[in-house]
Amino acid sequence: MTVSKPKLVVVGNGMVGHHFIEQLCSLGLNKTFEVHVFGEEPRPAYDRVQLSKYFETGSADPLMLTSAQDYQDWGINLHLNTPITAIDIAAKTVTSAQGECYSYTRLVLATGSFPFVPPIQGNDRAQCLVYRTIEDLEAIQAAAQTSLVGVVVGGGLLGLEAANAMMQLGVKTHVVEFAPQLMPVQLNDKAGELLCSKIEQLGVSVHTSKATTAIIDGETALHRMTFNDESFLETDMIVFSAGIRPQDALARVSNISIGERGGIEIDDHCLTSAPDVYAIGECALWQQKIFGLVAPGYQMARVVASHIASLSSDSPSQSFTGADMSTKLKLLGVDVAAIGASRGFDNAQFVELSDNQAGIYKKLWLDDSGKYLKGAVLIGDNSDYSRLLDMYLSQDEIAGSAVELLLAGAEDEADLKDTSIVCSCHQVTKGDIVDAVKAGSHKMAEIKSCTRAASGCGGCAPLVQKIIDQTLQAAGLDFNAGICAHFDHDRQALYHLCQVEGINDFDSLMRQHGKPSASGHTYGCDICKPAAASIFASLQNQYVLNQDSGHVQLQDTNDAYLGNIQKDGTYSIVPRVAGGEITPAKLIAMGQIAQDYDLYTKITGGQRIDMFGATLSQLPEIWKKLIDAGFETGHAYGKSLRTVKSCVGSTWCRYGVQDAVGFAIDLENRYKGLRSPHKLKFAVSGCTRECAEAQSKDIGVIATDKGWNLYVAGNGGMRPRHGDLFATDLSSETLYKYIDRILMFYVKTADKLQRTSTWMDSLEGGLAYLKSVVIDDALGINSTLEQQMDLIAATYQCEWKTSLEQPEFLARFNEFVNPSDAPVADANAYQRIREQRFPNIKDVGAGTIAIKDITEQQTTTDEVLA
Amino acid sequence: MSWINVCEETSLPIGTGVAAWVAGKAVAIFNLGKDGLFAIDNVDPATGVGLLARGLICEMEGELCVASPLYKQHYRLATGVCIEDNSLIASPFDIKTEQGQVLVLAKA
Ligand SMILES: Cc1cc2nc3c(=O)[nH]c(=O)nc-3n(C[C@H](O)[C@H](O)[C@H](O)COP(=O)(O)OP(=O)(O)OC[C@H]3O[C@@H](n4cnc5c(N)ncnc54)[C@H](O)[C@@H]3O)c2cc1C
Ligand code: SF4
Ligand code: FES
Repeated sequence: MTVSKPKLVVVGNGMVGHHFIEQLCSLGLNKTFEVHVFGEEPRPAYDRVQLSKYFETGSADPLMLTSAQDYQDWGINLHLNTPITAIDIAAKTVTSAQGECYSYTRLVLATGSFPFVPPIQGNDRAQCLVYRTIEDLEAIQAAAQTSLVGVVVGGGLLGLEAANAMMQLGVKTHVVEFAPQLMPVQLNDKAGELLCSKIEQLGVSVHTSKATTAIIDGETALHRMTFNDESFLETDMIVFSAGIRPQDALARVSNISIGERGGIEIDDHCLTSAPDVYAIGECALWQQKIFGLVAPGYQMARVVASHIASLSSDSPSQSFTGADMSTKLKLLGVDVAAIGASRGFDNAQFVELSDNQAGIYKKLWLDDSGKYLKGAVLIGDNSDYSRLLDMYLSQDEIAGSAVELLLAGAEDEADLKDTSIVCSCHQVTKGDIVDAVKAGSHKMAEIKSCTRAASGCGGCAPLVQKIIDQTLQAAGLDFNAGICAHFDHDRQALYHLCQVEGINDFDSLMRQHGKPSASGHTYGCDICKPAAASIFASLQNQYVLNQDSGHVQLQDTNDAYLGNIQKDGTYSIVPRVAGGEITPAKLIAMGQIAQDYDLYTKITGGQRIDMFGATLSQLPEIWKKLIDAGFETGHAYGKSLRTVKSCVGSTWCRYGVQDAVGFAIDLENRYKGLRSPHKLKFAVSGCTRECAEAQSKDIGVIATDKGWNLYVAGNGGMRPRHGDLFATDLSSETLYKYIDRILMFYVKTADKLQRTSTWMDSLEGGLAYLKSVVIDDALGINSTLEQQMDLIAATYQCEWKTSLEQPEFLARFNEFVNPSDAPVADANAYQRIREQRFPNIKDVGAGTIAIKDITEQQTTTDEVLA
Repeated sequence: MSWINVCEETSLPIGTGVAAWVAGKAVAIFNLGKDGLFAIDNVDPATGVGLLARGLICEMEGELCVASPLYKQHYRLATGVCIEDNSLIASPFDIKTEQGQVLVLAKA
């Protein structure tokens, strides 16, 4: 005789419903129950928190948390496209929209919430949408294709996320908020204002204190939204994001108690008023509170799973004791965080920091004694979030003054207590992570799968990584930062060693810190040698081909011969044309030289002229002529400053507000000799029209009527990236200071061949941290950085000029030691196309040869040109 | 087959390469000081371009190599065999010094 299993029914297969199933399976309860899961949506659970990523890939696949196959493997019956419409709490059955009836022993409601659409006349017109499901996003994407202007109603967290998506879809975006500020729930008024100004800078128009009265036919667009103050806005599409309401319709019609303002009432075991019926996630109301975040929902899911398990075994059951609603996120690229109470309360003390220039606002609330943290709001820089959250949750007494707490920054973010929760989605403590690392999980992916940290909303990932690194370092474990087989150090460590110990030659570096081979060789390789050469050059700015200290043997071909090698083994020559400004006389001189040597000439993307096809032995002669004509080396062969591109600026352009060319030339002259981990490009535009495309450069400068705006860490190339706004309206002197510091800090700390963008992203705290170092001197190193840059600028030399003065150097440019023995030259090596000379070798370019990583290892022709 | 005198020993800088003509063929010669002289075909077999003499000298897992300046394949100095792809060979030449002169054995 078969005993039929007890039945467990789950309504809703959203994030929380699915997490509950996972908990159930981990406790083995999928074996003891016959489980049925009903979901209204057409697909199994997906990551709603990351919903907006749908627009990045246009596919729901990367968002999926599970699959129908998983459910099948667990022996669970998953019914998709199946809304449940009624519960009979006496008979203990549920009925689906399709009319089928299922009985349950225990029932879990995880129906989530639905977007609130304000009752405005016209809210059901075409292209009036919401932002909750993948289907909603598909509708938004379709509407955006025919829309020029869009409005998001609601300036809360989700509204701003929707606004970002709309903007990315190329629609001119407005945000209309009823309250006098953005994110009224989380932020106080000052923080709201700062957020507003940051978001407006990004091109989103914000309208606060506006209540929409009706949506009617528009004149210039599909709709006209009219407001309580008689004003109106015309728009083609509208996304309502005016808050969410718990999805309690099913419970309501089934006579389960509902709170006054909605939500299914639950107790500490998440049990509702109906026997054996639980509610979890956003549909549940606990002590008159709804929790609109995943982490509390996951806690509820764990509570219910443990409660069900405790009924059939003596395992303990947990209870739900509320959850912290602190949040940290990036909205339209702006860091925002709120902890605890975000507004004043009786007898509250507070400290406040407001830096409009850097775009940072922070406020901490303390109790009346000033000893305990009660809340915090952070805008523009939330790098100290974890530390503050920990202090708030633990309610430890604040050591020292609250101002210190405010200014302490993120430096020891990972110095949390072992019991501190690092990942609130999965309730993982620092201790859990440390233990897992010690037990052998050294990679982020391993930590994710064994502790589950960072596998929920992902917000804690940087901190988790930092804890992994710290633990590995503390345990003396190699986390393999070495640049190649010969050194266990990364570039930054090598730089530091050379600086502190005054090491100035490769042999010493290798003997003291590297791994000479068994036979005692210190040859190194094509990775560590050029890296060392670049470090020696940044530290001393000596002549890069210095024979005495053996530097010439370290240089890669381009540096070793001060030219860019091309596919046929000849070189290209790029003299410096600072700021892209060149006199007709110099143009003629260059043209004459190119003609004499039959060099192929082309204008580069960096506003200079590249001449191709010079043989090794021609290089010194050609450079002699160029130098006589007043040119100097353009360092196109080195990892160093390439060009400062500029627009014509205020001298000629009728829009210009500053002399862009003049400033570009000055910048180029200051930084032209600097050796860096990767090539550097700058640009200067004379007004906000940005004709010089400064935002795509490592250092971008855009003129304003008050001075210069500085952008950092942009780049073109294979993975283009816009620079980040670093500071605004700077005077020329301050701008030089900032650039000195940024570049020197980059040279000191970046990894080999790391561009400024990846370097900045790799700094814990990213842009905000870089600002704190450069603007606030957080590390106290700014004067040293400036001195080093002064030294480099003062010891600049044109390497070609120096080289031509050294006869022993010139010997290296003989292609053959015995040129007289050469056979008769092969006349077929070139062909003529468009009246110029091109190599005539069969195509064995990069495409046909396996190369490990062309971006990192190679200087391709394109790069050389730019 | 005969030994060809290509240059004086003093015209070979230590730690880098030079190219020399040996009976109509370009040969890359590397002077590694106490580790001796090496000679391989100057033409990079991956590209057909003569420039191996301009490559960086490397030590890869204990073996001395030169990295081609174009696409960075490593060729063993002793055998000319490419580390990344052993079907690529920059054929080695015999080399010796006599009375301060550098001699390379020409191939027929
Ligand atoms: C764009 C966006 C960004 C967000 N960002 C964050 C964030 O950064 N951090 C954070 O913590 N939270 C965030 N959230 C909130 C988070 O997504 C929710 O807290 C979480 O999804 C709640 O899970 P849930 O299972 O309770 O509800 P849901 O995920 O909404 O799942 C409920 C499911 O039940 C189904 N359902 C409802 N009624 C029935 C029925 N009668 N029969 C069958 N099925 C039914 C629904 O179709 C739905 O699939 C964000 C939400 C959105 C929309
Ligand atoms: S950026 Fe401004 S100043 Fe420069 S060329 Fe364009 S419009 Fe003129
Ligand atoms: S806090 Fe959400 S994944 Fe860790």
